[in-house]
Amino acid sequence: MSFFRSKKMKYYSLVIPRESAWVVMNELARLGQLHFVDYDPQLPMINRPFANYVKRCDDSIFKLSSLELLLKEFKKNLNYCENVDTLLDYFQYIQKNRMKPGHTYFDELEQEIELKKLQIQEQSTNLQNLLERVNIITEQQMVLEKAQDILGQSAFQQQKPHNPNDYQQLKFGQLIGVIDKEEEVRFKRIIFRVTKGNAWVQIMDLNNEEVHNSMRKSFHLNQDKTQQPRCLYVIVYPGMEEQSSLKMKLMKVCDSFNRQRIEYPNSLDQLQRRMGELNQQLQEAKNLIEMTKHQLDQSLDELVQQKQGCNCSYFEYLRLYILREKYLYVNLNYLTMRGSIFTGYFWLPDGLEQIVEEKLRNAMRNNLDNYPTGQIQEMKPQYTPPTYFNLNEVTMPFQEIVNTYGIPRYQEVNPGLFTIITFPFLFGVMFADIGHGFMLFLCGIYIILWKGYLSKQQDSIFNVMIPYRYLLILMGFFAFYNGFIYNDYLSISLNLFGSCYSPEKEEWKREQKDCVYPFGIDPVWQASSSSLNFMNSYKMKLSVILGVIHMLFGILMKGVNNLYFKNYLDFFCEFIPQLLFMVCTFGWMDFIIIVKWLNIYPNNAAPSIIETMINQVLKPFDKPNTPIFPNEPELQLQITQILTLIAIICIPWMLLPKPFILGSKNNKHKVSMSDSQYQPLVMEKQVSDSDEDRNQQFQNDLKNADNLKSITEQSHEEHDSGEIWVHQMIETIEFVLGGISNTASYLRLWALSLAHGQLAEVFYDMCLAGKLDTGGILGGLLAGYFYLVFAFLTFGVLMTMDVMECFLHALRLHWVEFQNKFYKADGYLFVGYSYKKVLNEHLKQPNLK
Amino acid sequence: MDLCVFGVDDGYAEAIIRGLRASFLTEAQYQQMKNCASIPELKSFLEETDYQNCLQADNPQIPTSILRQRLKKKLADEFEYIEAQSTGTLTKYLFHLRCRFMIDNVVNMIEGLKNKIDIEILLSNIDPLGWFPEIKNIKVLEGDDYSSLYRDVLIDTPIGVYFMKFLEESIENLHENRTLNDIQNLFREMKPEYIRTSLKKMWLEDFYLFCEQELMPTSQEALLELLKFEADFKTVQVIYNSIGNRDLNTAAKIITTRKQLCPTIGNLYPDCEKLYLQAMTLDALREAVKGCDNYRDLLKDAPDPLKREEFNVQTKTLDDIMYDDECRRYALAFDGQGSYGVFYSYLKLKEQEIRNIIWLAEMISRKLAKNHPGWKKIIIPFSHLGK
Repeated sequence: MSFFRSKKMKYYSLVIPRESAWVVMNELARLGQLHFVDYDPQLPMINRPFANYVKRCDDSIFKLSSLELLLKEFKKNLNYCENVDTLLDYFQYIQKNRMKPGHTYFDELEQEIELKKLQIQEQSTNLQNLLERVNIITEQQMVLEKAQDILGQSAFQQQKPHNPNDYQQLKFGQLIGVIDKEEEVRFKRIIFRVTKGNAWVQIMDLNNEEVHNSMRKSFHLNQDKTQQPRCLYVIVYPGMEEQSSLKMKLMKVCDSFNRQRIEYPNSLDQLQRRMGELNQQLQEAKNLIEMTKHQLDQSLDELVQQKQGCNCSYFEYLRLYILREKYLYVNLNYLTMRGSIFTGYFWLPDGLEQIVEEKLRNAMRNNLDNYPTGQIQEMKPQYTPPTYFNLNEVTMPFQEIVNTYGIPRYQEVNPGLFTIITFPFLFGVMFADIGHGFMLFLCGIYIILWKGYLSKQQDSIFNVMIPYRYLLILMGFFAFYNGFIYNDYLSISLNLFGSCYSPEKEEWKREQKDCVYPFGIDPVWQASSSSLNFMNSYKMKLSVILGVIHMLFGILMKGVNNLYFKNYLDFFCEFIPQLLFMVCTFGWMDFIIIVKWLNIYPNNAAPSIIETMINQVLKPFDKPNTPIFPNEPELQLQITQILTLIAIICIPWMLLPKPFILGSKNNKHKVSMSDSQYQPLVMEKQVSDSDEDRNQQFQNDLKNADNLKSITEQSHEEHDSGEIWVHQMIETIEFVLGGISNTASYLRLWALSLAHGQLAEVFYDMCLAGKLDTGGILGGLLAGYFYLVFAFLTFGVLMTMDVMECFLHALRLHWVEFQNKFYKADGYLFVGYSYKKVLNEHLKQPNLK
Repeated sequence: MDLCVFGVDDGYAEAIIRGLRASFLTEAQYQQMKNCASIPELKSFLEETDYQNCLQADNPQIPTSILRQRLKKKLADEFEYIEAQSTGTLTKYLFHLRCRFMIDNVVNMIEGLKNKIDIEILLSNIDPLGWFPEIKNIKVLEGDDYSSLYRDVLIDTPIGVYFMKFLEESIENLHENRTLNDIQNLFREMKPEYIRTSLKKMWLEDFYLFCEQELMPTSQEALLELLKFEADFKTVQVIYNSIGNRDLNTAAKIITTRKQLCPTIGNLYPDCEKLYLQAMTLDALREAVKGCDNYRDLLKDAPDPLKREEFNVQTKTLDDIMYDDECRRYALAFDGQGSYGVFYSYLKLKEQEIRNIIWLAEMISRKLAKNHPGWKKIIIPFSHLGK
């Protein structure tokens, strides 16, 4: 019965010497069944003994992620780990063969990562620098070529001697260089302002990014998106002197744009020589790039390769190991350090003590230095234990539904168990339709059978639903089943077993007196004019009956809880009156509904259920005009009188005794607490004042005691008599009013199924019925078209929106109407200390692949 | 009315700001920072806060200047994000906020160039909030020729307007028959600090005008209040710092300089203008501003500027007092709904936070004793609200 109540937990203390802390924690993490308790949650992580290690792990992970970026850039595909268990075994195997203390392996890996990172980053920056250099060279080449076009041959001919006074022969100087394309306009403007318009500026696009990217492509590198488009500028200004102020100023301006300025050669010869040099440089740089790229590839490939026996890339191996190590240290930080001994506390599911001890012995054997590996000891728990269920793939989604509302309190009845059937069933009542239900069912089957295939389809909607496949199949099944009960197949009733009526002269005639349609509703009702009235009344009554049964079951669970926790006060003063109240009011209503179904009332004197229920309270001494039990109004009056009386008595019963009893208990408790709680503390103080070290310890103990006290105070706070009264009053009112409103709330079972049925009918009537009569080719085309409309509407509105709606309403019925009868939901989850869990969590991250 | 439609355009930006409000360091965190023994420890502490991402890639022994640059970069990134999410008036408004940093950057560049500091260092030290593309062209500056700097470079920039006004005013102030030499002399003597103060004054007045004319009433109400205080703060500062200043030797010169530097907005202008322009001692200044209760209280504790030489770290200077009061006001502005005041306050308070962190980093790197009074000299944003 591990799912009915959460597993029994035991609280242990763990004492390990510092030397073997790593080994022990390593062993325990492989077990994965311990829940470590943080000894001081207020203490910031940074002040804990192993904060340093955690930090180092973080640093290493950070380095690895920067390496990963490089790997992605160079299109290296990693092999991700598929099976965590094998990997963990492999870790263990490596550790064993090292013959050194286990925790030192991290140091080795850390250094290795550091080295690898430095090496690879150096190579990659080298590559970048070389590329940059090639860039500059090609830019120069392009500039020289284009400048030649712009300036033409005459630029060189200026050097010929001339007459300085001749205005016609004014000399010109030129500046040539590169700027970013986006600064083109600014550049022009600033030059205009500086020279007051006395310069000629020509700007031309270089298309350098295209050249650059085509070169990168030749080395199989990614396209560089950051490359800025640049342009070439040529400024021609009057005056040739080397030191003219205009030239100085222009040069300053050009330089302030932070891109290269190129000396334009004086003659054609020089220009050609220059071009030759540049070509040579370019070739050299390209060769260098080739080499660097090769080296970088090699070092990256080392990271991608799998080591023998390991099921993933070396890079993944490193990362997962570091993650594992970090997890270990984070958990080790939950322990206190006293001298060279670690003390910690943990929760362990009952019955695993042997295994843990075995693990500890194992650790000692494996330990190279044979340090003692510490021991565990059972302790008296200070807090409520965590809630732990051993879930499987079927129970998981249902427990998830319950946990979303609240985690069950330790050992309380787990509503998750019942939810497995009640949830799909209530959903089915609302979604009742043979066709739609069957489609949902098929969908569930599809996911179950093709699970392996679907789990690889990352972007499929079915992928998301894989964990919920059993929920889906059950929902489909119950919708299918309830569809038979309502005899509703896409809004048409099926005549499966042969109706008991046959048409006869515009009338329906019953074939035999005792003929009964064997299962579900007789299809003849669909043809009758009062079909809607009949179905409504039927569905409404059915939903109330289901609701009351569901709620009664919830109340019974409260009784079970009370008995289990030996809370007899609640059992007698809450559970019993609540049960009686429910049975005597709504239980009775259910009963008369069924009685009314079973009886045939002559001359349309059928009693109204609501009227009967109201009269029962308002006119307790009048005989019913239209008795439920034909011919026995006396008996009915007696029964109703007794039931009403019981129900009314139940209300003060719920309200009064519990606060009185608690109040008197509380008085006694106060006296005893003042004696026992405070005295030992004072004594301890006298003893431990003596030396410094103990004083520290005393402070801690005092803090602990304070915590404890506050906890006990919290639980006793309720016992303050005024609050008890208010609390009890609220509980009682909530229950009594809740009984009515919750019953009414179950009517949503009827309402939603009505809505579903009506929608299906509208779609059928509008799209299919009547549209199929037109004959000929046109009729065929029309039918095809309307069928498409019908199919899309059915899928879009009924199979998606209505499923969602019914799901939400079923959720509400469970969370509110059912669970408020007994469910406390104030527990907290068991978090196992397990490598497997943390590695799996990492591998599930979506950005990984 | 404007509250109804505020959310249409500016709701998202405001919501982001309110979310970012959570990133401020708390008093407890400051306490922990004070306990850090070394810079690496401080860095690893900051990595646990909102500053995590901007510091992770750095060496643990991070120099304070780089630390400042990183923190500012983060603030600038946030601001840029908000700017990108804004439309219409809010965009203009946010741009105005940036101008203040641009002025700072330009003046810093000028100052650095005058002191012959390498341009690369200067460029790496500019505040990312006030970056604009022309800033690197300031390199063109030759000697003290501000007018050609304006003509060549700054004319196109957002702060060109202020610079022009500044140049015009300073030239107008010269005597009638001025020569080119006079103007050159004027610029040669001019301190960058003076340029900064007058540019900022113009910016403040302009910003005030903008707020008055273009913003919706709710924003106006919040902002004008803050700006008035800031203007008064500037006025008091100018007067206070000019008392006993050796560079300003004649009374007439003091008054003209003051007149140039004091903003013509705020609670003190124009009612108290005559009085404070004439104030030659701290008492006279106190007398001048006594009309405003608030300022009287602030000045009550300020030390006498005539005894400037006696100041030490312990003295709570006027600036400290003013900053303290400013912080309180900005924090209060966060209470206002549907106003642009929060953007302004956020920027100011984050600046204060960065100042605090840098101050603490300096204290830590100098290994000052924990009982040193300097440790107390930080103003924690939002700490006033608890009281």
